[in-house]
Amino acid sequence: MARARIHVGLEIGTSKVCMVVGEVRSDGSVKILGLGTSKSAGVRRGEISDYANTKECVDDALVKAEEASDVEIGSVFLSVTGSHIVGMNNTGTYRLPENEKQIQPEHLHEAKEIAKDVHISPDHVCLHNILRSYRVDGFEHSSSPVGLFGKTLEVDFHVVAGIGTRIQNSIKCVRELQVDVDDVVFAPIATAQFALDRSTRERGALLIDIGGGTTDYALYLKGAIVASGCIPAGGEHVTNDIHMLTGLPFSRAETLKIKEGDASGDQSRSVGGIKIPVDEKGFSQQEVKRELLNEVIRQRMLEILELVKKRLPPGSVEQIGTGVFLSGGSSLMRGLDELTHQVFRRAIYRAQAAEISGVQANFKDPQFATALGLIRYAQLADVEKQNSSPRGFGRIWPFGKK
Amino acid sequence: MIEFVKDPQNTIPSSLVKIIGLGGAGANMLDRVALDGMEGAEMLALNADIRTLSGSVAPERIQLGVNLTKGLGTGGDPDLGQKVMLEAENAVRSSIKGRKIVFLCVGLGGGTGSGGAPILTRIAREEGAFVVIFATMPFAFEGRRRREQAETALNELAVLSNALVVFDNTRMGELVLAKQGIHEAFSAGDRMISDSIKAVIRLVIRPGLIHVGLDELMTALRTTRSRCLFGSGTANGKDRASKALANALSSPLLDKGALLKEAASVLVHICGGEDLTLYEIELLMQKLSKYVPQKAHVLFGAAIDTNMKDALSITLISALPEEKLQASSFEELPGEREAMEPSEGFGFDDMPQPARIVEPPVDEEPAENEIIEAVPPAVVAQQVDGWVNFQEADDHEVDLPFAEPEQSGSGVVFSPQASIAPASFVTDAARDFRDALKPAEPLSEEEDAQAPPAVLGDLLEKTRIRLGQNDMLFEGSSRGKFADNEANLVDGDDLDIPPFMRKKKK
Repeated sequence: MARARIHVGLEIGTSKVCMVVGEVRSDGSVKILGLGTSKSAGVRRGEISDYANTKECVDDALVKAEEASDVEIGSVFLSVTGSHIVGMNNTGTYRLPENEKQIQPEHLHEAKEIAKDVHISPDHVCLHNILRSYRVDGFEHSSSPVGLFGKTLEVDFHVVAGIGTRIQNSIKCVRELQVDVDDVVFAPIATAQFALDRSTRERGALLIDIGGGTTDYALYLKGAIVASGCIPAGGEHVTNDIHMLTGLPFSRAETLKIKEGDASGDQSRSVGGIKIPVDEKGFSQQEVKRELLNEVIRQRMLEILELVKKRLPPGSVEQIGTGVFLSGGSSLMRGLDELTHQVFRRAIYRAQAAEISGVQANFKDPQFATALGLIRYAQLADVEKQNSSPRGFGRIWPFGKK
Repeated sequence: MIEFVKDPQNTIPSSLVKIIGLGGAGANMLDRVALDGMEGAEMLALNADIRTLSGSVAPERIQLGVNLTKGLGTGGDPDLGQKVMLEAENAVRSSIKGRKIVFLCVGLGGGTGSGGAPILTRIAREEGAFVVIFATMPFAFEGRRRREQAETALNELAVLSNALVVFDNTRMGELVLAKQGIHEAFSAGDRMISDSIKAVIRLVIRPGLIHVGLDELMTALRTTRSRCLFGSGTANGKDRASKALANALSSPLLDKGALLKEAASVLVHICGGEDLTLYEIELLMQKLSKYVPQKAHVLFGAAIDTNMKDALSITLISALPEEKLQASSFEELPGEREAMEPSEGFGFDDMPQPARIVEPPVDEEPAENEIIEAVPPAVVAQQVDGWVNFQEADDHEVDLPFAEPEQSGSGVVFSPQASIAPASFVTDAARDFRDALKPAEPLSEEEDAQAPPAVLGDLLEKTRIRLGQNDMLFEGSSRGKFADNEANLVDGDDLDIPPFMRKKKK
């Protein structure tokens, strides 16, 4: 990697479309050149429901990003999410032939093929195959076991799969704007690249990205991904809950959520009411009880977190050494850290990356974590491509070969 | 040769002003005023309870009920409060004699405060003083009796006094963060009262370059049976004019300036150091005009006080007839008006507990009518037997979970005994403690009340309807924004329906 490369990350979220242009320097550092966001329309729970509208939003973000960064964008890394995407673990076991004692590259290859061959339903396609670990005769190795002696070789993979057509639609949306898609990345995996560094993953960390319409999570233990997935509820649901229980219009409910809401369940913060002032358009003054507001928010957030917890493999929460990382726009909710602590009983962090430079304000905001993570992902993918076999990182391009 | 004393500001000597603290709560407010450094003005503490009285920092103190209660408090009995005040009438009268303006600080709801304040006000008026009363109303959780006692007294005071500024303890929560200590809440309440007193005094004794004085004050407050709207704010530095105005409007008594919309006349007094500019005043008045109706009579005054240095203070005083007060905060809820009277435009009170328990119909008739009969028989009994009644009264307090901390709020000094007292009470040895407890009473009386809670229950109902939060919502089928999407099922739950509602149904 002799020269700087420019990567672009695109996230089509429920509340906003966000495009980040980053420069990966030869020394491995990343600089953000520009950022384009557009309010999202036509996206429900992370999936595109109104194609034309979404396309316009992406176009808008594209123009803004090009303007901000002064780069002509030719291709992007696209993050996708949605409740149809699931992550699962699979193990491939390969028994070495009787006369061979040393593990050869072809043995490894064979084991990997077996591992990747998980049963996924016909309409699903594989997004990622991520190598977790190798085991030789039951003994774990984190690096390639080629050359070691052993009888059985096991390879653990984390396979992420989603419904092909839905993912294809996201790609189409971008392609129609004359922009190519370099790769499709499951959102929490991209965010994790941004939020969790190597040592954090070694000790074990759970990333929860609470966005507008979905909550994505990824769990890393001993440096390898253990679980990932998506829960189709997020900040928009909180707003909707407030709207339904107070009768306030959406825009008001949204401001109320952002300005006054608190998810901690701390009763001292639920004292009194909030007066919603009269505005020019004849909206009469109302008072909403903090108790009600906070309880509505708390119940929703609690449910989301409990669902995440339930999806994780049993006993894995106890193994989280570093803690839980929160990201996404809804993680800005007051008191969410306390609530998360109540659920997971682990240290809570706000997702932040150290080695990115650029306009500070942009990447301090957890709303952009996924798009920024895509840049990191692209950088890693580049490195992989250069110093190993084409399938070293275990990703395959799901559509290219079709 | 006639000497011409040049005093462009027509200063009234502060010796003509007297600040009186009546009862335990009053004493606390008075202490606060004294600690904040009110130079010049005379201070007088009145209490039946010798313990609190001796703890007061006021230079002048008069013990009430020397013969009647013998140094003890009135045990939350307004009748007794009335009697002890009458007993000390002469002493009080001579102390007030010749004062032009009297500020009376009192916590309503208990014995000394609720019983004594009307009498004291009458005495002061008879002596020709202009009487401004700063009263606190009891907390919502203190029970209905205290609220009734407070209301009775308040109604009398509204008629007797020249100006009445009411501060509802229930609103105290707005002054501090929920997490802050109770003593902070109380000192914030006392501070607000102390600031108000200072502002009025500043206005009266330093009428200023553009004169406003007692006469204007009277005009501003001239509505019969009115409650005073009051806001005062000080700020310095850049943009001090608008900051000071914002501070003044943030006073809970003004309800963020919303109540000013109803005012017929408003007194605005601006006081600043020597660097006060005309431009600042113009700016400030311009901003203020947004809150004050155009046809309102604005009484404007400005003064220079070198002690202010680079600060600027603004004081807004106005009065609203009681009906309007309720009307403005509860337009949508006509039935509730009378009931809300005690909280005086303070909006809903926020104490959740008593809210639903109490039955609504209490409030149909205007609180003014239920005068002294409202005092339950228990109180009468108390008078007969001095000791028993105290015990009773105190038992009352013990039942109320917050009674003690509250005392400690306004008078941190006295509280420890007070909180120990309930336990040691039964024994004879407790006599001393009992005295110590007394301060508690007048104070905790400020808290209070049922009427508003009663209302609250109703209010909740109505609000809910008003907000469209009716049963339809709880039927559970509505999904708001996601109504036209397919069900978002995860583990058998439709995630588009608020968990708050789903959990409720289970």
